[in-house]
Amino acid sequence: MRKSKWIVWVLLAPGLLIVALTTTYPLLTALYFSLHNYKLTKPVDWAIQVGGDSFVNFNFSALSLDNYIQAFTDDRFINSVVVTLEFTLVSVGLSVILGLGIALLLQKEGFWHRVTKSILILPFAISPALKGYSWRFMLNENFGIFDKVIDLFISAPLNALINVWNALPFGDIPLISMNLVWLGDGFWALFMLALSETWGWAPLIALMFIGALGSIDPHIFESARIDGANNWQIFTHVTLPILRPVILIIVMLKTIFSLKMFDQVVTMTGGGPIRATQTINFYVHQVGFVRGLDIGYASALSYILVVVLTVVAAGYVLFLLKPDYNGS
Amino acid sequence: MKAHRIFLLAILCLALTVSAIGIQAQDVDLMDPATFGLQEGKPYDGTTLEFLICCNTAQQFAVLDKWTAEEFTAMTGITVNWGDVPFGSLQETLYLEASNPNTEYDIVAWVDAWGTNIKDFLYPLNDFVAEAGIDMSDYSPAYVTASMMGSTDTIYGLPFRGHPQILYYRSDVLAELGVEPPKTWQDVSAIGAAMAAAGMEIKPISMYYGLNVDQNLFNWYSHLWGAGTDLFDENWEPIFNNEAGLAATIQYLSYLRDGYTDQQSVTLNEGDAWQEVLDGRAAMYVGWWWRYSSMLGSAVPEVAANAGIAPAPGWEGGSTASYGYLWPVGVFAQSDNVEASLEFLRWMTHPITELRAVSNELGDPAYDNNVAVRLSILQDENYNARFNNLGNVAADILSNARTIPLIPEYTEIIPILAETINELAVDPNADIQAVLDRAAEDVRDIMDSAGYYDG
Repeated sequence: MRKSKWIVWVLLAPGLLIVALTTTYPLLTALYFSLHNYKLTKPVDWAIQVGGDSFVNFNFSALSLDNYIQAFTDDRFINSVVVTLEFTLVSVGLSVILGLGIALLLQKEGFWHRVTKSILILPFAISPALKGYSWRFMLNENFGIFDKVIDLFISAPLNALINVWNALPFGDIPLISMNLVWLGDGFWALFMLALSETWGWAPLIALMFIGALGSIDPHIFESARIDGANNWQIFTHVTLPILRPVILIIVMLKTIFSLKMFDQVVTMTGGGPIRATQTINFYVHQVGFVRGLDIGYASALSYILVVVLTVVAAGYVLFLLKPDYNGS
Repeated sequence: MKAHRIFLLAILCLALTVSAIGIQAQDVDLMDPATFGLQEGKPYDGTTLEFLICCNTAQQFAVLDKWTAEEFTAMTGITVNWGDVPFGSLQETLYLEASNPNTEYDIVAWVDAWGTNIKDFLYPLNDFVAEAGIDMSDYSPAYVTASMMGSTDTIYGLPFRGHPQILYYRSDVLAELGVEPPKTWQDVSAIGAAMAAAGMEIKPISMYYGLNVDQNLFNWYSHLWGAGTDLFDENWEPIFNNEAGLAATIQYLSYLRDGYTDQQSVTLNEGDAWQEVLDGRAAMYVGWWWRYSSMLGSAVPEVAANAGIAPAPGWEGGSTASYGYLWPVGVFAQSDNVEASLEFLRWMTHPITELRAVSNELGDPAYDNNVAVRLSILQDENYNARFNNLGNVAADILSNARTIPLIPEYTEIIPILAETINELAVDPNADIQAVLDRAAEDVRDIMDSAGYYDG
């Protein structure tokens, strides 16, 4: 018995070592930085030189909570928290609702359903930075597809009606022209950022739901129909309750990813207009590597995000470990 | 009379020097170390240098990279690896490597605004410049200031890649209106009004007020400087919100508010706005000179056939001063190969190398570069013949060009200013004075925290 325990630890050691080096060490170092006034442009007080090499010589006497205190009075950080929460709310909501809708449409079997399901993974496979650039082009007022489609399907038919009306002697109505500068308006810029995220995630979520829907025993639906339930009643009283565990898992996973939003902000909006799309990660990057080069403060802000993510992740793990979780 | 003769003699000497550079590039032995003042006998043979730089598809970098391997290495035995760090991550790589005592990089090129944060990690070049006989007066004063990063006595880098701001215009559009290219920003507005009155569909000017990478400040600086004000006074108090600053900002926003530029300009960066010109949707644009070749090569025939250039506009009754944007090149102080790195700088920034780099002697578009920094090369006859007088226009602009505040705190101040401009652009009802005052207050807080007002 003792020998087998020893073997377990030997087998686990490489994995534990990798986790310690790639996760634990950076986390602890970042925590240490967050408790110091550490800017890249100023010499650090804990580095020691041995030969040509520099080593961290931890100096715990200079620990301070100043960076954390500063965070709660920094209106740019507070703005980034609000933006991140708004973005998370919209992107998670849209991704789950659209993903479920797509899954319900594609759950049947058939050649085209299979083809469509296999294509579904593509948007998720596109890099977030590229996604941001693509959406930036698509939202361009002059040559973007959004305005063209709206012009074609909304403005043009309405203008045709307006022209008919204007031919009558009741006074003229101005023609409609689609020239909204999507990324120049705070609300639309954030909404479009969330929509671009939804475009990538909803198909993946749909695949998850298709798997979950496929595992539901069809007899349950048959029984409901025999009892006189219509489609809507079956969906709300049978399908949704059965899918509840999957929905919760998806919501938690998507929430974690949304809270970390960064790439598309850089390539699609640059955080603008003004500060309307500056998420926490974007702001942390600005503080640490673009603006003040303030690694101490950036580490503190990152830690605040880590705490939030840990709470969400803990909820996720606790939920999975619940005894009544059926794994569907 | 004697003074007159001395003056003529000096002009003659200068002309001979300038033409000699042109001749040298043709006739000298490019594989002889003595041509560039390099040390004989390959004392650094076998040394490998790492060069922290981006974008090896930029023609200037591409051609110099090619010659580094083919010529410099053959002459000196020194291998130089040109980095190709994506521009988007160059700034953070620069900061991380500069502060890393064990950095693998020896040579570094940086954007002027980033330099003040790394200057303590750079090897001072004063002795090298004196020993190599580099004539710093052959560079624009704005470039020299940026290379010295505000210091009065230390040269941290050599001008390497520099950009004056140029007015690009559609000569056919202005000819149709019967007007000359604008000399002032107020002329730009007048042309905008005339184009609107004439019912022209093309927008008068393509502006960029978007937030991406803070490029919405470039033309604002020109407006401020032209109107006779600045970002700070001599005591580092913000003054961009004073009366002249307000007038400059109102003028800067007027192209948008008067409808002379596309409403979408509130989201555009410099490159996006340039696309408006290339696609034939805008008649004027003020930006960096290196874009000229793309205008000549526009897929829209009217754009390519009517590409005009002139100095960036100034201020009516005021001055003409635009931002001279510079990439200096220097050596990390912690490098183990400082001497070998200086040999490389000596070759790469030599007038012969610089002149060859704009000559397109390889006849390949991938190496067809127009970027030079020496005034003598910008005024070179062959250069101007090849680029439709671009060099003379650039030299003219650079004689009045200025640079941004070269203080470490400026990188923290830039986002405040960029967001302020963006806010004023996206909100047509914004109280410009109030928004500028608020920005000035924020800027002052940063300067105060940094101790600029102590004592």
